Amino acid sequence: MALGRTLRDEFDWPLFISVSTIALFGVLNLYSATDGGTTSDAYIQQLYWLVLGFGVASVAVAIDYRTLERYGWAIYGACTLALVLVFVLGRSVRGSTRWIALGGFSLQPSELMKIALIIALAKYLHHDTKVGGRTLGDLIIPGLILALPMGLVLLQPDLGTAMILAFIFGSIMMLTELKARSMVTLAASFVVAAPVTWFYLLKDYQKERITAFWDRLGGTQADLLDSGWHAHQSLVAIGSGGLAGKGFTQGTQTRFRFLPDQHTDFPFPVWAEEHGFFGAVLLVSLYLFLVLWALRIASQAKDRFGAVVAVGVGAMIFWQAVVNLGMVSGLLPVVGMTLPLFSYGGSSLLSTMLGIGLLMNVSMRRFSH
Amino acid sequence: MITLSQRREVGEFRKRYRWMALFVILVFGALIVRIAQVQLFQRDRWSGIAQDNITKTFELPPTRGVIRDAEDRIIASNRPSYDVYATPRLLRIPEDLDRIAFLMGLNQSAKDALYNRIEELPPARQTHQIELFADVSRTQLAALETHLSELPALDIVTVPLRDYPYGTLGGHLIGYLNEVNDRDLARADEPGRYRSGDRIGRSGLERRYEPLLRGSRGFRREVVDARGRALQGTRPQSLEVDMLKRPVPGHDLQLTLDMRLMEAFDRAFEPYPSGAAVVVDVHTGAIVALYSKPVYDPNEMSSGLSTARYNELTSDPFRPLIDKTLFETYFPGSTFKVITALASLEDDVTDPMQRVECMGSIKIGRQKFRCNRRHEWVDLYESLVQSCNVYFWELADEVGLERINRYAKAFGFSERSGIDVRGEAEGFLASREWYEEHYGAFRPGYTLNTAIGQGNTRVTVLQLALAYAAIANGGTLHVPQVVRNVRSPDGSLSETFQPQVRREVGVAPEHLELVRRALTDVVNEETGTAFRARASEGPLVAGKTGTAQVVSRKSRSEESSSAWYLDRSHGWFAGFAPADDPQLAFAVLVEHGGSGGASAAPIATKVMQEYLSEPQSEGTH
Repeated sequence: MALGRTLRDEFDWPLFISVSTIALFGVLNLYSATDGGTTSDAYIQQLYWLVLGFGVASVAVAIDYRTLERYGWAIYGACTLALVLVFVLGRSVRGSTRWIALGGFSLQPSELMKIALIIALAKYLHHDTKVGGRTLGDLIIPGLILALPMGLVLLQPDLGTAMILAFIFGSIMMLTELKARSMVTLAASFVVAAPVTWFYLLKDYQKERITAFWDRLGGTQADLLDSGWHAHQSLVAIGSGGLAGKGFTQGTQTRFRFLPDQHTDFPFPVWAEEHGFFGAVLLVSLYLFLVLWALRIASQAKDRFGAVVAVGVGAMIFWQAVVNLGMVSGLLPVVGMTLPLFSYGGSSLLSTMLGIGLLMNVSMRRFSH
Repeated sequence: MITLSQRREVGEFRKRYRWMALFVILVFGALIVRIAQVQLFQRDRWSGIAQDNITKTFELPPTRGVIRDAEDRIIASNRPSYDVYATPRLLRIPEDLDRIAFLMGLNQSAKDALYNRIEELPPARQTHQIELFADVSRTQLAALETHLSELPALDIVTVPLRDYPYGTLGGHLIGYLNEVNDRDLARADEPGRYRSGDRIGRSGLERRYEPLLRGSRGFRREVVDARGRALQGTRPQSLEVDMLKRPVPGHDLQLTLDMRLMEAFDRAFEPYPSGAAVVVDVHTGAIVALYSKPVYDPNEMSSGLSTARYNELTSDPFRPLIDKTLFETYFPGSTFKVITALASLEDDVTDPMQRVECMGSIKIGRQKFRCNRRHEWVDLYESLVQSCNVYFWELADEVGLERINRYAKAFGFSERSGIDVRGEAEGFLASREWYEEHYGAFRPGYTLNTAIGQGNTRVTVLQLALAYAAIANGGTLHVPQVVRNVRSPDGSLSETFQPQVRREVGVAPEHLELVRRALTDVVNEETGTAFRARASEGPLVAGKTGTAQVVSRKSRSEESSSAWYLDRSHGWFAGFAPADDPQLAFAVLVEHGGSGGASAAPIATKVMQEYLSEPQSEGTH
């Protein structure tokens, strides 16, 4: 099958346009967020990453995803190995070790792991064509596929990415049928796991953020100078944007440095402050469209591997967007989580673009045999 | 081509996509609802915080209005006070404190106190500025300013402070300021007008005219970033607040007082520890002098009194806290005889030419009443000049209590004059019913006492001066006026107060003329009770002496050697000047001065004659 013909006939324009729009908005927003500051050329950096990202996506489109299926375990293994290497070669930023220096780049293997996990689970489910409901026993192998990288990521520690890995796994498994009894058992084990996580797995600063969040929800304004500060200033930025916003590069919360991490974890408040409710709804709608489109691609995929990959990439974008937006709008506690395609950062962008490439790949090959 | 699967194999997934799509839509929908809540419904709240975030407001206090006398002399104005503030966290201890103590010229105990103050501050307060010294002297200021660059913790702030060039003179009327309390701050009709630390007019005119004198606060705002650094020349478009509001100075007051006359009274009262004097313009009721001695120190009052000091002030027998012109009442003594005389003349009770023989005393019923001396045969005119009690006792019997009280009331006694100061005393006239109620039965002796200004008649010094003004001007009783006009901060007149007539007293001009002639001869006839107080030059002064008995003080056990003094009678002199063409009416009271002719009259005649003979600046009476 020639890719040339497929490209012409089957190129997924809605996917391409929605992704490009979000990414370009992200660059504009980054320009505004860093304008006048010490990192004012960050948007150029981001443009380079974006070009690279489209390159990576093109490669991901060019290779028939069935080839990826074949090398699924190898990809999974390589990424897991990279996660181990982080502890050997990695450099530490703000108390956690997530990065590997690769020549001039810094690479974050946990980002690539999201894609690797999707491919690994797709490969597993592709071959494990159960008819009728699955039992807990059937979840053991996919569970292990998740547990290995997730454990490594938690050790870094990177709670946000670990959570996303779990959410991707959960979303993919929702495609399969689970027996009712198994579901009850699963729910019960979550109840047991929650306190264990709280008391043994979470670091103090992580707990602090969650407590600050509950305090805010409960109406008691915790010390705004500490954990609640980020969330508070984020709401100030969004809220003061009003209907139409303060205008491009006119956000005061941004310009006067009241927003923390305004180009990585908090780009949405910058956007909402400057472009108001109209801008915010436009951006959220683009994500909504993107995720629904991924589900559409999944539903039209011609095999289970393609469907799982599409759902997995959709879930990755969905959960990251929801957690990030929920966090900046005060609905969820502050955890480190980027807004896919929109936030500043190479690794995050590359892994997302890789995922988008896979989506395109599945979309374009839905009719080929 | 690798054939991985058949299309039916994806069948297990088929039914899930719809639910997933629904879930995605619901979650994003919830996010949009949340964003709408924050951006649309809570917008004002968050915008307010966003603006507060980037602005730092510096308050600009208004300049309080100036109070001037009738001749534009400044009675109350403002001067800069230099207050020294420090940020404790930035203080190097002990070097900086030693240095500050040295520059300020502090003694050891003051230095220790400073050390303790800094050390006892809780850590949370260490980053906030505290006031180290208020109103430092010029020398201290110069010393500190020279070394300010080496003392980064210090900050010198200039604030306007009330200044009274005449010191305590007129202090009761002018009043004082002190710091606002919680009640002032909570007052709902003017929210935000006062801040903690502001000063508010607490008494006298400073209080009465507080809303006009105060002016309104301004502010200056700076745009700052998250670290509080000022960003000069930056002004975000979304900033909807004013960056500068100039403070509006308060209105200026011009009083009817003449401080030159006040000073003259102060000098004349020098021999006496306490007393009061009121001078009014007979044609307008304008108060030219309102003098009360002794006076508290307004600076002391405004800094807040300790309980011990307050008790000391309130137990002082000369009552420095009380304005004796308005808030204290006295027996008018013989100055009241003019009322009795006018009552008899007006109602034609007796022939004023008819003489009565004064044998030095009179027996009425079983009681014997003493006159001050034997006056032989006197008529109404002579009895006023010589202040013969016997004549008035005889007259009292015929005039009766009701008539005396009626005329006294017409002349403004036992009612508030309507002066612009809160809480003025009313005075008192005892009626027949009052005597029956309080003394069991009415006896003729009460009328006799009333006729000569004893009994239970009580007047304020101001009431007496106004009554004599009515006698002097032909029968018009005025509302006393203290404030002549109010000027806006730009100097234009914003309000001018016109003289107000309370009433015509309803007494025939010829009767007033007779009384005026008699009062002139009190000073200018050899037999007059104030003849010895007559000054050799200047316009003639007319008036009536009075000597008011002091109600015997009950407990003497704890009295000091000054007790005898406090039992002496009060001396009065009330009248007008010049005698032939009255311009000013006055009432002078020397507490415990003994006879009015010997104490009050010399003060009044001397001050009035000097005042009227000195060249006047234009625009006065």
